[in-house]
Amino acid sequence: MKSLKILIAPFVVPALLMLAACAPAPAPTAAPVAQPTAAPAAAEPTAAPKPEKLTVLCTPQEDWCQAMTKAFEEQTGIKTSYVRLSSGESLAKLRATKDNPEFSVWWGGPADGFVAAAAEDLLEPYVSPNAADIPAAQKDPNGIWTGVYVGALGFCSNKDVLAQLGVEKPNSWDDLLDPKLKGQVAIAHPASSGTAYTAVWTQVTRLGGIDQAFEYLKQLHQNVLQYTKSGSAPGQMAGRGEVAVAVIFSHDCVKFADEGMTALEVSFPEEGTGYEIGGVALIKNAPEPEAAKMWIDWVLTAQAQEIGPTVKSYQLPTNPNAKVSERSVKLSEVKLVDYNFDEAGKNRKAITQRFEDEITVAPQ
Amino acid sequence: MYLRAAPLIQRGCAPSLYLSTLSPMRLSRPLAPTIGWRRVWREYRALARDPLYLIALVAAALFVLAAILYPLIATLGQAASSEGARVLGDVLRRPVYHRIILNTLVMGLLVAGVGTGVGFLLAFVQVRVAAPAWLKRFIHLTALVPVVSPPFAVAVATIVLFGRSGLITYGVFGARTDIYGLPGLTIVMTLSFFTVAYLSLSGLLRGLDPAMDEAATNLGASRWHQFRTVTLPMLLPGLGSSFLLLFVEAVADLGNPLVLGGNFTVLATRLYLAIVGEYDLTSGSVLSVVLLIPSVLLYFLQWRLATRASVVTITGKPTGRVLLITDKRAVIPLVGAATAIALFIVLIYGTLLVGAFVMSLGVNNTFTLKNFEFVLLGYGAEAMIDTSFMSAIATPLAGVLGMVIAFLVVRGRFLGRSALDLGTMLGIAVPGTIFGIGYLLAFNNPTTLGGVTLIPKLTGGAAVLGGALAIVMVYVIRSTPAGLRAGVAALQQIDPAIEEASVSLGADQALTFRKVTLPLIRPAFFSGLIYAFARSMTTVSAILFLTTPETRIMTQQILNETEAGRFGNAFAYVVVLIAIVLVVIGLLSLLIGLSTGAEREAVQTP
Repeated sequence: MKSLKILIAPFVVPALLMLAACAPAPAPTAAPVAQPTAAPAAAEPTAAPKPEKLTVLCTPQEDWCQAMTKAFEEQTGIKTSYVRLSSGESLAKLRATKDNPEFSVWWGGPADGFVAAAAEDLLEPYVSPNAADIPAAQKDPNGIWTGVYVGALGFCSNKDVLAQLGVEKPNSWDDLLDPKLKGQVAIAHPASSGTAYTAVWTQVTRLGGIDQAFEYLKQLHQNVLQYTKSGSAPGQMAGRGEVAVAVIFSHDCVKFADEGMTALEVSFPEEGTGYEIGGVALIKNAPEPEAAKMWIDWVLTAQAQEIGPTVKSYQLPTNPNAKVSERSVKLSEVKLVDYNFDEAGKNRKAITQRFEDEITVAPQ
Repeated sequence: MYLRAAPLIQRGCAPSLYLSTLSPMRLSRPLAPTIGWRRVWREYRALARDPLYLIALVAAALFVLAAILYPLIATLGQAASSEGARVLGDVLRRPVYHRIILNTLVMGLLVAGVGTGVGFLLAFVQVRVAAPAWLKRFIHLTALVPVVSPPFAVAVATIVLFGRSGLITYGVFGARTDIYGLPGLTIVMTLSFFTVAYLSLSGLLRGLDPAMDEAATNLGASRWHQFRTVTLPMLLPGLGSSFLLLFVEAVADLGNPLVLGGNFTVLATRLYLAIVGEYDLTSGSVLSVVLLIPSVLLYFLQWRLATRASVVTITGKPTGRVLLITDKRAVIPLVGAATAIALFIVLIYGTLLVGAFVMSLGVNNTFTLKNFEFVLLGYGAEAMIDTSFMSAIATPLAGVLGMVIAFLVVRGRFLGRSALDLGTMLGIAVPGTIFGIGYLLAFNNPTTLGGVTLIPKLTGGAAVLGGALAIVMVYVIRSTPAGLRAGVAALQQIDPAIEEASVSLGADQALTFRKVTLPLIRPAFFSGLIYAFARSMTTVSAILFLTTPETRIMTQQILNETEAGRFGNAFAYVVVLIAIVLVVIGLLSLLIGLSTGAEREAVQTP
């Protein structure tokens, strides 16, 4: 009893004293009951006032996010900022801020992420007039998401390290299981990274079931050094020679090679590889819906889709009128698996949780 | 007590304050007014006659309640929910979690052991071994560097130097070493955290009475025998407290395991992924509690030990000169090892500096300013300004709060002042990630009571000031404890008679505090300020979940750049961050003109 008193006395008694003194005590912490600044321009439908700012949730590489937001700002005068988060993080963030979103539009990252977000009612359908240009296979018919780029998964190898290990450039998913590659493979964590989730779902498609995919992943785990948070990070590890092979999107590998990591080379699995359609979507209850729609309209134009290569992001544009960089992957030369974005998105949560529980902590 | 309060509320006297201060304490049963409470009441009434005291007390109590205890209680509450109980069941039952917990413990123990060892070695060489003064000063200054850098900066440089294609391991020796996992973590965490052990142990060593050693020598003991049977036993509590402190730091660290952990999963990384990957606050809370309990217990255990240790140091003023060890057989290995460690630190931070100016250190060593362009002109500039600005706001708040609470704790005569002390110390005893989660749980929605908003929504981009308030609050709670301890130590040295004299000469409390007490504790206050700024600028784990599009934090950007593998940008960020901290420390020292705590620290070196 005494100790209890000691513990609570300094917190309770002063308050009582304040009351006893009956000072019109302005409680310091409670003071500025700031009214949630009632979203001024956004909520008003009248006469469409010009939007002033836009916050983009951006999933691709940081420099591409920067180049895009800068270009958009220059063209529209809307002050545009972004936060770069990996796919899984973006999803978690949208879930966390569901009632009061911080972002208005989500740009980039595999479409499965968008499907998963839509399943949780985090997105607002919007069919952009410019979406008519985009092939039907690269957009959601209801306008939940629209494709902005396409990329194929590949192996990003460091040829020096491979040569030293006496291993050939991998040409098959099973090549990654070579015991000589123990601790020499890097891939991201599918809970946080859309790249890694694409890789996991590729196994599901290729092997015909989730259980079979986990059987493969369990074997692959023997060779994995680290599951990174961001999808492209394994490519940097390979570039620095920390690992021999990284499983990443091939365009990121080309980017790193162009940026000076000359030992890197891309190869594709002959059984077929997964691919992504990077999406764009309007966020539900977006604070800046008008600006967000302008952003969506804009990123679907050929002109906006040609910005990527200027910052060495060689994803394929979805707008057929956009110029294709010669550094981009030629999809006709790569065997792709039959990737079902809807199924992938709907199973995302279950699979990432299972991955966390069964794979990451398995002994090596 | 309730009886007393009720009529006051009816009179309409600020009920919100009453309720806000009381509500989280509802856990305790309603207390009947007893004799004891009457005494407590009288004590506080006496105290309250001085409005300054009252304001100080209310401010301190509100701070501890709202900023520290409430988020922790929210975390505990979430963990105790039925969903939380299910996760806890999982944690206790499934071998996967046993492994994670075991990993965490092993890592904590290793880092604590090695870190205390390194700290002790440097402290011992500094205080007890004959070596050139410039060398000692060099060792001392390098040992302080980790304090002003974000904790995982070391990890990044370590990969570049000692990774599989490391400049040294592969470049020089041609070896493909494997530093990912436990061995690498032990090295980088030791280097990140040993400074605490070094500073406290060198303080202790200096305080030891050399007369004891002389007595032992006179009785014929050899230096080694004397070290083993006299010096070491007196240092045991200090060593123990350093060990526990490093353990707590190590298990709470998030940055290093994320960068260098490989597949060595620890509680902190698992917790992080639960939040950023799934936004699973329940799992996060349960893991927090698993991490929280041992951390807090050990922290307060070390506090007790440290208090005991300082009792030893105060017993005797040095009666003689310390006899420095001059025996070559001891000096050469000791000084050699200490110098090697100092050089290692120089190498690590040198790598950071060089790496900031090249494309990709070790892969493409072309000189470039691109990294700095990214940091200083692009979005990095925003982060730089935001972080510095918020730290600059948090610094004086933490400094003043630390002194105010110290004053209440040392000079106040009221029941429960140690609770205030303990509550404030929780700010540092609790791992940072847990405050991150606690703040999300407690402040993601406005705190209301009976329709009155007590605390508005503080976290997230849609919150007040874009979520900056929550971040500043976290900065303050993380830095106040150090100021508090410095303030307590300083105040205990000052005889209250000095203040009483001032009062009897007619000054009131406020004037006395300003004119008498404050000048006397000024060095402690400024060392608290410097610490608070450095700490705020380098905090990682506590703010990772609290950043919003409006508030960009440098440490988080560094972690992003590191994680994405763009080491050049990360290095440039680290260099800029360290520069900002050093410039501010310099400015603070200049402003104060005379001796600040930090300078005193530096000057103390023999």
